Amino acid sequence: MEKGSKKGKKEFLLCLVSVVILCLLLFPLFWIFITSLKTEKEIFQIPPTFYPHVLNTKSYAAQIGNGDFNMFRSFANSLIISTGAMAIAVVLAVPASYAVARYRFKGRNGMLLCFLVTQMLPVSVLLTPMFIMFKGMHIYNTWLSAILSDATLGIPFSVLILKNYFASVPRDLEEAAYIDGCTRFLAFLRILLPVAKPGVVVCAIFSFLYGWGDLAYGMTFILDQKKRPITAGIFNFMGQYGTKWSYLTAFAIVTIIPVALIFLFMQKYIISGMTSGAVKG
Amino acid sequence: MKQIKSFFRYDNIGLLYALPAFLYMLFFVGFPIVSNLILSLQNVTVRNLVRGSRDFIGFDNYIKLMHDPVFLRAMFNTLLFTVSCLVVQFVIGFALALLFQKDFSFARPVRGLLMIPWMIPMTVTALIFKFMFSTDVGIINYFLKSAGVITENIQWLTSPATAMTAVITANIWIGIPFNTILISTGLTTIPLELYESAAIDGANGRQKFFKITLPLMRTTIESLLVLGFIYTFKVYDMVYVMTGGGPVNSTHLLSTYSYKLSFEMFQYSLGSSAANVLLVILLLVGVVYLKITMKGEME
Repeated sequence: MEKGSKKGKKEFLLCLVSVVILCLLLFPLFWIFITSLKTEKEIFQIPPTFYPHVLNTKSYAAQIGNGDFNMFRSFANSLIISTGAMAIAVVLAVPASYAVARYRFKGRNGMLLCFLVTQMLPVSVLLTPMFIMFKGMHIYNTWLSAILSDATLGIPFSVLILKNYFASVPRDLEEAAYIDGCTRFLAFLRILLPVAKPGVVVCAIFSFLYGWGDLAYGMTFILDQKKRPITAGIFNFMGQYGTKWSYLTAFAIVTIIPVALIFLFMQKYIISGMTSGAVKG
Repeated sequence: MKQIKSFFRYDNIGLLYALPAFLYMLFFVGFPIVSNLILSLQNVTVRNLVRGSRDFIGFDNYIKLMHDPVFLRAMFNTLLFTVSCLVVQFVIGFALALLFQKDFSFARPVRGLLMIPWMIPMTVTALIFKFMFSTDVGIINYFLKSAGVITENIQWLTSPATAMTAVITANIWIGIPFNTILISTGLTTIPLELYESAAIDGANGRQKFFKITLPLMRTTIESLLVLGFIYTFKVYDMVYVMTGGGPVNSTHLLSTYSYKLSFEMFQYSLGSSAANVLLVILLLVGVVYLKITMKGEME
Protein backbone atom coordinates (compact mmCIF):
# COMPACT_ATOMS: atom_id res chain seq x y z
CA MET A 1 0.00 0.00 0.00
CA GLU A 2 2.68 2.42 1.06
CA LYS A 3 4.81 1.42 -1.89
CA GLY A 4 1.90 2.11 -4.26
CA SER A 5 1.39 5.65 -3.04
CA LYS A 6 5.11 6.29 -3.23
CA LYS A 7 5.06 5.17 -6.82
CA GLY A 8 2.06 7.38 -7.51
CA LYS A 9 3.87 10.34 -6.04
CA LYS A 10 6.89 9.72 -8.19
CA GLU A 11 4.70 9.38 -11.27
CA PHE A 12 2.99 12.67 -10.47
CA LEU A 13 6.31 14.42 -9.94
CA LEU A 14 7.76 13.15 -13.21
CA CYS A 15 4.66 14.18 -15.12
CA LEU A 16 4.79 17.62 -13.54
CA VAL A 17 8.47 18.09 -14.39
CA SER A 18 7.96 16.98 -17.98
CA VAL A 19 5.00 19.33 -18.45
CA VAL A 20 7.03 22.25 -17.08
CA ILE A 21 9.87 21.46 -19.47
CA LEU A 22 7.42 21.17 -22.33
CA CYS A 23 5.88 24.58 -21.56
CA LEU A 24 9.32 26.12 -21.32
CA LEU A 25 10.55 24.70 -24.60
CA LEU A 26 7.38 25.35 -26.57
CA PHE A 27 6.86 28.83 -25.14
CA PRO A 28 8.30 30.54 -28.26
CA LEU A 29 5.56 28.94 -30.38
CA PHE A 30 2.82 29.90 -27.95
CA TRP A 31 4.22 33.40 -27.86
CA ILE A 32 4.15 34.07 -31.59
CA PHE A 33 0.69 32.54 -31.87
CA ILE A 34 -0.61 34.91 -29.20
CA THR A 35 1.22 37.82 -30.79
CA SER A 36 -0.30 37.11 -34.19
CA LEU A 37 -3.75 37.62 -32.63
CA LYS A 38 -2.93 40.91 -30.93
CA THR A 39 -3.26 44.44 -32.23
CA GLU A 40 -0.03 46.23 -33.07
CA LYS A 41 -0.64 48.51 -30.08
CA GLU A 42 -1.02 45.63 -27.65
CA ILE A 43 2.18 44.02 -28.91
CA PHE A 44 4.17 47.06 -27.85
CA GLN A 45 2.44 47.30 -24.49
CA ILE A 46 4.54 46.99 -21.33
CA PRO A 47 4.08 44.84 -19.34
CA PRO A 48 3.21 42.41 -22.14
CA THR A 49 -0.13 40.62 -22.14
CA PHE A 50 -0.10 36.83 -22.15
CA TYR A 51 -3.34 36.48 -24.07
CA PRO A 52 -4.84 38.92 -26.57
CA HIS A 53 -7.09 41.35 -24.68
CA VAL A 54 -8.47 42.57 -27.98
CA LEU A 55 -8.73 39.75 -30.48
CA ASN A 56 -7.30 40.87 -33.81
CA THR A 57 -7.51 38.57 -36.83
CA LYS A 58 -6.73 41.34 -39.30
CA SER A 59 -3.10 40.26 -39.60
CA TYR A 60 -4.29 37.12 -41.34
CA ALA A 61 -7.15 38.60 -43.33
CA ALA A 62 -5.23 41.65 -44.51
CA GLN A 63 -2.72 39.59 -46.42
CA ILE A 64 -5.08 37.63 -48.63
CA GLY A 65 -5.06 40.09 -51.48
CA ASN A 66 -2.19 42.25 -50.44
CA GLY A 67 0.09 43.02 -53.41
CA ASP A 68 3.59 41.68 -53.23
CA PHE A 69 3.29 40.00 -49.86
CA ASN A 70 0.29 37.81 -50.36
CA MET A 71 1.12 35.08 -47.89
CA PHE A 72 -1.43 32.65 -49.23
CA ARG A 73 0.08 32.83 -52.68
CA SER A 74 3.54 32.25 -51.17
CA PHE A 75 1.97 29.35 -49.31
CA ALA A 76 0.72 27.87 -52.59
CA ASN A 77 4.14 28.40 -54.18
CA SER A 78 5.79 26.53 -51.33
CA LEU A 79 3.24 23.76 -51.63
CA ILE A 80 3.96 23.35 -55.35
CA ILE A 81 7.72 23.45 -54.87
CA SER A 82 7.83 21.04 -51.91
CA THR A 83 5.40 18.59 -53.49
CA GLY A 84 7.38 18.60 -56.72
CA ALA A 85 10.66 18.03 -54.90
CA MET A 86 9.04 15.29 -52.85
CA ALA A 87 7.74 13.52 -55.96
CA ILE A 88 11.14 13.55 -57.65
CA ALA A 89 12.90 12.35 -54.51
CA VAL A 90 10.50 9.47 -53.89
CA VAL A 91 10.33 8.31 -57.50
CA LEU A 92 14.12 8.22 -57.81
CA ALA A 93 14.94 7.00 -54.30
CA VAL A 94 12.58 4.00 -54.16
CA PRO A 95 14.21 1.97 -56.96
CA ALA A 96 17.70 3.13 -55.97
CA SER A 97 17.31 2.06 -52.36
CA TYR A 98 15.82 -1.25 -53.45
CA ALA A 99 18.86 -1.86 -55.63
CA VAL A 100 21.27 -0.97 -52.88
CA ALA A 101 19.48 -3.21 -50.39
CA ARG A 102 19.07 -6.25 -52.63
CA TYR A 103 21.86 -6.35 -55.20
CA ARG A 104 25.62 -6.33 -54.88
CA PHE A 105 26.18 -4.60 -58.22
CA LYS A 106 29.37 -2.97 -59.45
CA GLY A 107 29.92 0.44 -57.91
CA ARG A 108 27.37 -0.12 -55.14
CA ASN A 109 29.64 0.95 -52.32
CA GLY A 110 30.87 3.96 -54.24
CA MET A 111 27.29 5.08 -54.83
CA LEU A 112 26.40 4.63 -51.18
CA LEU A 113 29.38 6.73 -50.24
CA CYS A 114 28.25 9.45 -52.64
CA PHE A 115 24.77 9.54 -51.12
CA LEU A 116 26.25 9.74 -47.62
CA VAL A 117 28.57 12.57 -48.57
CA THR A 118 25.92 14.63 -50.36
CA GLN A 119 23.94 14.68 -47.12
CA MET A 120 26.76 16.65 -45.54
CA LEU A 121 27.14 19.29 -48.22
CA PRO A 122 26.54 22.92 -47.33
CA VAL A 123 24.15 24.74 -49.65
CA SER A 124 26.74 27.50 -50.06
CA VAL A 125 28.90 25.24 -52.21
CA LEU A 126 26.09 24.53 -54.65
CA LEU A 127 24.38 27.91 -54.84
CA THR A 128 26.58 29.77 -57.31
CA PRO A 129 27.16 26.89 -59.76
CA MET A 130 23.47 25.96 -59.66
CA PHE A 131 22.61 29.61 -60.22
CA ILE A 132 24.76 29.69 -63.35
CA MET A 133 23.46 26.30 -64.46
CA PHE A 134 19.78 27.26 -64.08
CA LYS A 135 20.41 30.49 -65.97
CA GLY A 136 21.90 28.42 -68.77
CA MET A 137 18.95 26.00 -68.71
CA HIS A 138 16.54 28.98 -68.84
CA ILE A 139 14.70 27.83 -65.74
CA TYR A 140 16.07 30.59 -63.52
CA ASN A 141 13.22 32.42 -61.80
CA THR A 142 10.76 29.52 -62.17
CA TRP A 143 9.36 27.02 -59.67
CA LEU A 144 11.24 24.29 -61.48
CA SER A 145 14.63 25.62 -60.38
CA ALA A 146 13.62 25.36 -56.72
CA ILE A 147 11.98 21.97 -57.26
CA LEU A 148 15.08 20.49 -58.90
CA SER A 149 17.44 21.86 -56.26
CA ASP A 150 15.23 20.95 -53.28
CA ALA A 151 15.00 17.37 -54.53
CA THR A 152 18.76 17.01 -54.03
CA LEU A 153 18.10 17.33 -50.27
CA GLY A 154 15.52 14.56 -50.18
CA ILE A 155 17.14 11.98 -52.46
CA PRO A 156 20.21 10.97 -50.43
CA PHE A 157 18.22 10.93 -47.18
CA SER A 158 15.51 8.79 -48.76
CA VAL A 159 17.90 6.30 -50.33
CA LEU A 160 19.71 5.72 -47.06
CA ILE A 161 16.51 5.35 -45.03
CA LEU A 162 14.57 3.19 -47.46
CA LYS A 163 17.50 0.86 -47.94
CA ASN A 164 16.98 -0.36 -44.38
CA TYR A 165 13.27 -0.98 -44.97
CA PHE A 166 13.92 -3.01 -48.10
CA ALA A 167 16.69 -4.94 -46.41
CA SER A 168 14.27 -5.94 -43.64
CA VAL A 169 11.85 -7.66 -46.04
CA PRO A 170 12.47 -11.40 -45.78
CA ARG A 171 13.97 -12.89 -48.93
CA ASP A 172 11.61 -15.87 -48.71
CA LEU A 173 8.71 -13.59 -49.46
CA GLU A 174 10.40 -12.42 -52.63
CA GLU A 175 11.45 -15.90 -53.69
CA ALA A 176 7.94 -17.22 -53.22
CA ALA A 177 6.82 -14.60 -55.70
CA TYR A 178 9.39 -15.77 -58.24
CA ILE A 179 8.15 -19.32 -57.90
CA ASP A 180 4.66 -18.06 -58.57
CA GLY A 181 5.96 -16.71 -61.85
CA CYS A 182 6.53 -13.09 -60.92
CA THR A 183 9.32 -11.26 -62.72
CA ARG A 184 11.79 -9.40 -60.55
CA PHE A 185 10.17 -6.12 -61.41
CA LEU A 186 6.69 -7.39 -60.56
CA ALA A 187 7.97 -8.81 -57.27
CA PHE A 188 9.43 -5.41 -56.49
CA LEU A 189 6.10 -3.70 -57.19
CA ARG A 190 3.77 -6.24 -55.59
CA ILE A 191 5.74 -7.68 -52.69
CA LEU A 192 8.54 -5.36 -51.64
CA LEU A 193 6.95 -1.99 -52.16
CA PRO A 194 3.86 -2.67 -50.01
CA VAL A 195 6.02 -4.00 -47.17
CA ALA A 196 8.34 -1.01 -47.33
CA LYS A 197 5.41 1.43 -47.45
CA PRO A 198 6.07 2.99 -44.03
CA GLY A 199 9.58 3.76 -45.20
CA VAL A 200 8.25 5.40 -48.34
CA VAL A 201 5.99 7.56 -46.17
CA VAL A 202 8.96 8.62 -44.03
CA CYS A 203 10.88 9.59 -47.15
CA ALA A 204 7.96 11.51 -48.59
CA ILE A 205 7.47 13.43 -45.34
CA PHE A 206 11.11 14.36 -44.95
CA SER A 207 11.57 15.29 -48.59
CA PHE A 208 8.53 17.53 -48.30
CA LEU A 209 9.80 19.11 -45.08
CA TYR A 210 13.23 19.76 -46.62
CA GLY A 211 11.54 21.60 -49.46
CA TRP A 212 9.17 23.43 -47.15
CA GLY A 213 11.98 24.64 -44.91
CA ASP A 214 14.34 25.68 -47.66
CA LEU A 215 15.23 29.34 -47.89
CA ALA A 216 18.55 29.51 -49.73
CA TYR A 217 17.50 27.82 -52.98
CA GLY A 218 14.09 29.43 -53.25
CA MET A 219 15.46 32.87 -52.52
CA THR A 220 18.45 32.63 -54.83
CA PHE A 221 16.88 30.97 -57.86
CA ILE A 222 13.53 32.75 -57.83
CA LEU A 223 13.54 36.54 -57.95
CA ASP A 224 9.89 37.16 -58.71
CA GLN A 225 8.07 37.65 -55.39
CA LYS A 226 4.91 36.18 -56.95
CA LYS A 227 6.65 32.83 -57.46
CA ARG A 228 8.79 32.70 -54.34
CA PRO A 229 8.22 30.16 -51.55
CA ILE A 230 6.80 31.28 -48.23
CA THR A 231 10.15 31.26 -46.43
CA ALA A 232 11.56 33.76 -48.91
CA GLY A 233 8.31 35.71 -48.57
CA ILE A 234 8.82 36.02 -44.83
CA PHE A 235 12.41 37.05 -45.32
CA ASN A 236 11.45 39.80 -47.77
CA PHE A 237 8.66 40.98 -45.55
CA MET A 238 11.05 41.21 -42.59
CA GLY A 239 13.38 43.34 -44.66
CA GLN A 240 10.64 45.79 -45.57
CA TYR A 241 8.38 45.87 -42.52
CA GLY A 242 10.85 44.73 -39.90
CA THR A 243 8.80 45.70 -36.86
CA LYS A 244 5.30 44.92 -38.06
CA TRP A 245 5.24 41.96 -35.71
CA SER A 246 1.51 41.24 -35.95
CA TYR A 247 1.85 40.55 -39.68
CA LEU A 248 5.19 38.78 -39.31
CA THR A 249 3.98 36.41 -36.63
CA ALA A 250 0.82 35.67 -38.63
CA PHE A 251 3.07 34.84 -41.56
CA ALA A 252 5.09 32.52 -39.33
CA ILE A 253 1.98 30.73 -38.02
CA VAL A 254 0.71 30.11 -41.55
CA THR A 255 4.09 28.64 -42.47
CA ILE A 256 3.95 26.28 -39.51
CA ILE A 257 0.44 24.95 -40.32
CA PRO A 258 1.50 22.14 -42.68
CA VAL A 259 4.29 21.17 -40.31
CA ALA A 260 1.82 20.99 -37.45
CA LEU A 261 -0.58 18.88 -39.51
CA ILE A 262 2.17 16.48 -40.50
CA PHE A 263 3.19 16.23 -36.88
CA LEU A 264 -0.36 15.57 -35.69
CA PHE A 265 -1.11 12.79 -38.14
CA MET A 266 2.29 11.27 -38.79
CA GLN A 267 4.25 11.62 -35.61
CA LYS A 268 5.48 8.04 -35.52
CA TYR A 269 6.94 8.36 -39.00
CA ILE A 270 8.85 11.47 -38.03
CA ILE A 271 10.48 9.91 -35.02
CA SER A 272 11.41 6.82 -36.99
CA GLY A 273 12.86 9.01 -39.74
CA MET A 274 14.90 11.07 -37.33
CA THR A 275 16.36 8.07 -35.60
CA SER A 276 17.00 5.72 -38.48
CA GLY A 277 18.27 8.54 -40.64
CA ALA A 278 21.04 9.62 -38.40
CA VAL A 279 22.43 6.91 -36.22
CA LYS A 280 22.80 3.30 -37.05
CA GLY A 281 22.71 1.19 -33.90
CA MET B 1 24.57 -7.31 -77.09
CA LYS B 2 24.96 -10.68 -75.50
CA GLN B 3 27.69 -9.29 -73.32
CA ILE B 4 25.50 -6.44 -72.13
CA LYS B 5 22.71 -8.87 -71.37
CA SER B 6 24.93 -11.13 -69.34
CA PHE B 7 26.38 -8.15 -67.47
CA PHE B 8 22.93 -7.21 -66.19
CA ARG B 9 21.95 -10.78 -65.49
CA TYR B 10 22.45 -11.09 -61.76
CA ASP B 11 23.44 -8.46 -59.26
CA ASN B 12 24.30 -5.87 -61.82
CA ILE B 13 20.66 -5.45 -62.70
CA GLY B 14 20.60 -3.36 -59.54
CA LEU B 15 22.59 -0.78 -61.42
CA LEU B 16 19.57 -0.06 -63.60
CA TYR B 17 17.43 0.71 -60.57
CA ALA B 18 20.06 2.82 -58.88
CA LEU B 19 21.28 4.77 -61.87
CA PRO B 20 18.47 7.36 -62.23
CA ALA B 21 18.92 8.67 -58.69
CA PHE B 22 22.68 8.57 -59.00
CA LEU B 23 22.75 10.43 -62.30
CA TYR B 24 20.36 13.04 -60.93
CA MET B 25 22.68 13.70 -58.01
CA LEU B 26 25.70 13.65 -60.29
CA PHE B 27 24.16 16.29 -62.52
CA PHE B 28 22.71 18.58 -59.85
CA VAL B 29 25.28 18.10 -57.09
CA GLY B 30 28.45 16.46 -58.41
CA PHE B 31 28.79 18.73 -61.39
CA PRO B 32 28.20 21.94 -59.35
CA ILE B 33 30.85 20.89 -56.82
CA VAL B 34 33.42 20.61 -59.59
CA SER B 35 32.33 23.85 -61.21
CA ASN B 36 32.46 25.57 -57.82
CA LEU B 37 36.04 24.42 -57.50
CA ILE B 38 36.90 25.82 -60.92
CA LEU B 39 35.01 29.03 -60.14
CA SER B 40 37.11 29.58 -57.06
CA LEU B 41 40.27 29.54 -59.16
CA GLN B 42 38.92 32.14 -61.58
CA ASN B 43 37.98 35.79 -61.30
CA VAL B 44 34.25 35.69 -61.96
CA THR B 45 32.22 38.70 -60.89
CA VAL B 46 28.90 40.03 -62.15
CA ARG B 47 30.70 41.40 -65.23
CA ASN B 48 31.83 38.10 -66.69
CA LEU B 49 29.30 35.73 -65.12
CA VAL B 50 27.28 34.98 -68.24
CA ARG B 51 29.65 35.99 -71.02
CA GLY B 52 33.15 37.31 -71.29
CA SER B 53 36.43 35.63 -70.63
CA ARG B 54 37.25 34.08 -67.29
CA ASP B 55 40.87 34.09 -66.29
CA PHE B 56 42.43 31.50 -64.07
CA ILE B 57 44.09 33.30 -61.21
CA GLY B 58 45.25 30.31 -59.20
CA PHE B 59 44.79 30.53 -55.47
CA ASP B 60 44.53 34.31 -55.40
CA ASN B 61 40.97 34.20 -54.06
CA TYR B 62 41.99 31.99 -51.16
CA ILE B 63 44.97 34.20 -50.39
CA LYS B 64 42.71 37.24 -50.50
CA LEU B 65 40.33 35.59 -48.03
CA MET B 66 43.13 34.79 -45.63
CA HIS B 67 43.82 38.52 -45.41
CA ASP B 68 40.17 39.45 -45.06
CA PRO B 69 39.35 40.23 -41.41
CA VAL B 70 35.64 39.51 -41.95
CA PHE B 71 36.45 36.06 -43.34
CA LEU B 72 38.72 35.27 -40.40
CA ARG B 73 36.04 36.48 -38.04
CA ALA B 74 33.49 34.29 -39.85
CA MET B 75 35.79 31.32 -39.47
CA PHE B 76 36.11 31.92 -35.74
CA ASN B 77 32.36 32.53 -35.41
CA THR B 78 31.52 29.31 -37.20
CA LEU B 79 33.67 27.37 -34.78
CA LEU B 80 32.31 29.20 -31.75
CA PHE B 81 28.74 28.75 -33.00
CA THR B 82 29.19 25.04 -33.66
CA VAL B 83 30.97 24.15 -30.44
CA SER B 84 28.63 26.16 -28.20
CA CYS B 85 25.53 24.70 -29.82
CA LEU B 86 26.92 21.17 -29.68
CA VAL B 87 27.86 21.27 -26.02
CA VAL B 88 24.68 22.88 -24.72
CA GLN B 89 22.21 20.91 -26.81
CA PHE B 90 24.01 17.67 -26.06
CA VAL B 91 23.92 18.20 -22.30
CA ILE B 92 20.26 19.29 -22.28
CA GLY B 93 19.35 16.57 -24.76
CA PHE B 94 21.01 13.92 -22.63
CA ALA B 95 19.28 15.12 -19.49
CA LEU B 96 15.90 15.09 -21.20
CA ALA B 97 16.50 11.66 -22.70
CA LEU B 98 17.31 10.28 -19.24
CA LEU B 99 14.13 11.87 -17.88
CA PHE B 100 11.92 10.42 -20.61
CA GLN B 101 13.60 7.05 -20.19
CA LYS B 102 11.81 6.75 -16.86
CA ASP B 103 8.52 4.95 -16.81
CA PHE B 104 5.68 7.45 -16.44
CA SER B 105 2.52 8.05 -18.40
CA PHE B 106 3.45 11.43 -19.94
CA ALA B 107 6.89 10.27 -21.10
CA ARG B 108 6.03 9.36 -24.68
CA PRO B 109 3.52 12.07 -25.58
CA VAL B 110 5.65 14.86 -24.09
CA ARG B 111 8.79 13.60 -25.77
CA GLY B 112 6.86 13.51 -29.03
CA LEU B 113 5.69 17.10 -28.66
CA LEU B 114 9.26 18.22 -28.01
CA MET B 115 10.12 17.26 -31.58
CA ILE B 116 8.13 20.17 -32.99
CA PRO B 117 10.94 22.79 -32.88
CA TRP B 118 13.09 20.52 -35.01
CA MET B 119 10.50 20.39 -37.81
CA ILE B 120 9.78 24.09 -38.09
CA PRO B 121 11.44 25.86 -41.02
CA MET B 122 14.57 27.59 -39.80
CA THR B 123 13.44 30.87 -41.30
CA VAL B 124 10.45 30.82 -38.96
CA THR B 125 12.57 29.90 -35.96
CA ALA B 126 14.87 32.78 -36.80
CA LEU B 127 11.89 35.13 -36.96
CA ILE B 128 10.55 33.88 -33.63
CA PHE B 129 13.85 34.46 -31.87
CA LYS B 130 14.43 37.78 -33.58
CA PHE B 131 11.11 38.86 -32.10
CA MET B 132 11.88 37.48 -28.65
CA PHE B 133 15.35 39.02 -28.60
CA SER B 134 14.27 42.43 -29.91
CA THR B 135 15.25 45.31 -27.65
CA ASP B 136 11.96 46.98 -26.80
CA VAL B 137 9.20 44.43 -27.45
CA GLY B 138 11.34 41.40 -26.76
CA ILE B 139 9.95 39.06 -24.12
CA ILE B 140 13.45 37.99 -23.11
CA ASN B 141 14.39 41.48 -22.00
CA TYR B 142 11.07 41.68 -20.15
CA PHE B 143 11.72 38.42 -18.28
CA LEU B 144 15.28 39.39 -17.42
CA LYS B 145 14.10 42.75 -16.16
CA SER B 146 11.30 41.25 -14.07
CA ALA B 147 13.75 38.81 -12.55
CA GLY B 148 16.03 41.70 -11.67
CA VAL B 149 18.93 40.41 -13.74
CA ILE B 150 19.13 43.59 -15.82
CA THR B 151 17.89 47.13 -15.33
CA GLU B 152 18.32 48.45 -18.87
CA ASN B 153 17.10 46.64 -21.99
CA ILE B 154 19.89 44.73 -23.72
CA GLN B 155 20.30 45.43 -27.43
CA TRP B 156 20.71 41.76 -28.21
CA LEU B 157 20.78 41.78 -31.97
CA THR B 158 22.11 45.25 -32.59
CA SER B 159 25.28 45.06 -30.53
CA PRO B 160 28.18 42.84 -31.61
CA ALA B 161 28.84 41.65 -28.06
CA THR B 162 25.47 39.89 -27.65
CA ALA B 163 24.28 39.07 -31.17
CA MET B 164 26.21 35.80 -31.30
CA THR B 165 24.63 34.67 -28.02
CA ALA B 166 21.17 35.28 -29.40
CA VAL B 167 21.88 33.36 -32.59
CA ILE B 168 23.41 30.45 -30.70
CA THR B 169 20.42 30.28 -28.34
CA ALA B 170 18.03 30.07 -31.27
CA ASN B 171 19.98 27.26 -32.86
CA ILE B 172 20.18 25.30 -29.61
CA TRP B 173 16.39 25.35 -29.51
CA ILE B 174 16.39 23.30 -32.71
CA GLY B 175 19.21 21.03 -31.60
CA ILE B 176 17.64 19.89 -28.33
CA PRO B 177 14.93 17.68 -29.87
CA PHE B 178 17.43 16.17 -32.29
CA ASN B 179 19.76 15.22 -29.45
CA THR B 180 16.97 14.06 -27.14
CA ILE B 181 15.47 11.65 -29.65
CA LEU B 182 18.76 10.16 -30.75
CA ILE B 183 20.04 9.67 -27.24
CA SER B 184 16.67 8.19 -26.23
CA THR B 185 16.98 5.65 -29.01
CA GLY B 186 20.51 4.84 -27.95
CA LEU B 187 19.40 4.34 -24.36
CA THR B 188 16.78 1.76 -25.32
CA THR B 189 19.51 -0.48 -26.73
CA ILE B 190 21.12 -0.93 -23.30
CA PRO B 191 19.82 -4.16 -21.76
CA LEU B 192 17.97 -3.55 -18.50
CA GLU B 193 19.54 -6.61 -16.87
CA LEU B 194 22.83 -4.75 -16.72
CA TYR B 195 21.30 -2.13 -14.45
CA GLU B 196 19.56 -4.78 -12.38
CA SER B 197 22.71 -6.76 -11.74
CA ALA B 198 24.61 -3.55 -11.02
CA ALA B 199 21.94 -2.66 -8.46
CA ILE B 200 22.38 -6.07 -6.83
CA ASP B 201 26.10 -5.36 -6.62
CA GLY B 202 25.22 -2.16 -4.79
CA ALA B 203 25.95 0.41 -7.49
CA ASN B 204 24.40 3.84 -7.01
CA GLY B 205 22.85 6.01 -9.72
CA ARG B 206 26.03 7.87 -10.50
CA GLN B 207 28.08 4.71 -10.82
CA LYS B 208 25.45 3.19 -13.08
CA PHE B 209 25.56 6.25 -15.32
CA PHE B 210 29.34 6.42 -15.63
CA LYS B 211 30.05 2.68 -15.68
CA ILE B 212 27.15 1.40 -17.76
CA THR B 213 25.26 4.13 -19.60
CA LEU B 214 28.15 6.23 -20.90
CA PRO B 215 30.44 3.41 -22.09
CA LEU B 216 27.61 1.58 -23.84
CA MET B 217 26.41 4.78 -25.48
CA ARG B 218 29.81 5.51 -26.95
CA THR B 219 28.98 4.85 -30.59
CA THR B 220 25.70 6.73 -30.35
CA ILE B 221 27.38 9.71 -28.72
CA GLU B 222 30.22 9.74 -31.21
CA SER B 223 28.05 9.69 -34.27
CA LEU B 224 25.59 12.14 -32.72
CA LEU B 225 28.32 14.67 -32.01
CA VAL B 226 29.94 14.33 -35.40
CA LEU B 227 26.60 14.53 -37.18
CA GLY B 228 25.61 17.48 -35.02
CA PHE B 229 28.88 19.16 -35.92
CA ILE B 230 28.20 18.71 -39.62
CA TYR B 231 24.63 20.00 -39.40
CA THR B 232 25.55 22.97 -37.23
CA PHE B 233 28.71 23.93 -39.07
CA LYS B 234 26.81 24.55 -42.28
CA VAL B 235 23.83 26.40 -40.78
CA TYR B 236 22.90 29.31 -42.96
CA ASP B 237 19.26 30.40 -42.70
CA MET B 238 19.28 31.01 -38.97
CA VAL B 239 21.99 33.64 -39.00
CA TYR B 240 21.09 35.09 -42.36
CA VAL B 241 17.51 35.79 -41.25
CA MET B 242 18.24 36.84 -37.67
CA THR B 243 21.15 39.20 -38.19
CA GLY B 244 22.20 39.01 -41.85
CA GLY B 245 25.74 38.67 -40.52
CA GLY B 246 25.55 42.01 -38.73
CA PRO B 247 25.89 44.17 -36.74
CA VAL B 248 29.12 45.27 -38.44
CA ASN B 249 29.81 41.75 -39.74
CA SER B 250 30.11 40.40 -36.21
CA THR B 251 27.90 37.33 -36.65
CA HIS B 252 28.90 36.13 -40.10
CA LEU B 253 29.42 32.40 -40.43
CA LEU B 254 31.34 30.92 -43.34
CA SER B 255 28.02 30.06 -44.99
CA THR B 256 26.45 33.51 -44.67
CA TYR B 257 29.64 35.32 -45.62
CA SER B 258 30.03 33.17 -48.70
CA TYR B 259 26.45 34.02 -49.64
CA LYS B 260 27.08 37.70 -49.08
CA LEU B 261 30.19 37.67 -51.25
CA SER B 262 28.38 35.91 -54.09
CA PHE B 263 24.90 37.33 -54.07
CA GLU B 264 25.18 40.72 -52.39
CA MET B 265 28.63 41.83 -53.53
CA PHE B 266 28.54 39.73 -56.74
CA GLN B 267 32.09 38.46 -56.17
CA TYR B 268 31.14 34.98 -57.30
CA SER B 269 34.64 33.54 -57.30
CA LEU B 270 35.45 34.88 -53.87
CA GLY B 271 32.16 33.50 -52.53
CA SER B 272 32.91 30.11 -54.05
CA SER B 273 36.31 30.07 -52.39
CA ALA B 274 34.76 30.79 -49.00
CA ALA B 275 32.24 28.00 -49.58
CA ASN B 276 35.03 25.62 -50.51
CA VAL B 277 36.82 26.30 -47.24
CA LEU B 278 33.58 25.38 -45.49
CA LEU B 279 33.31 22.25 -47.64
CA VAL B 280 36.84 21.06 -46.92
CA ILE B 281 36.34 21.34 -43.16
CA LEU B 282 33.02 19.49 -43.42
CA LEU B 283 34.58 16.73 -45.49
CA LEU B 284 37.35 16.25 -42.96
CA VAL B 285 34.77 15.84 -40.22
CA GLY B 286 32.70 13.74 -42.61
CA VAL B 287 35.51 11.23 -42.87
CA VAL B 288 35.26 10.71 -39.12
CA TYR B 289 31.51 10.21 -39.42
CA LEU B 290 31.94 7.73 -42.24
CA LYS B 291 34.45 5.77 -40.23
CA ILE B 292 31.90 5.43 -37.43
CA THR B 293 28.91 4.49 -39.58
CA MET B 294 30.45 2.83 -42.59
CA LYS B 295 30.66 -0.58 -40.98
CA GLY B 296 26.87 -0.73 -40.88
CA GLU B 297 26.39 0.75 -44.34
CA MET B 298 28.67 -1.46 -46.37
CA GLU B 299 27.76 -4.79 -44.86
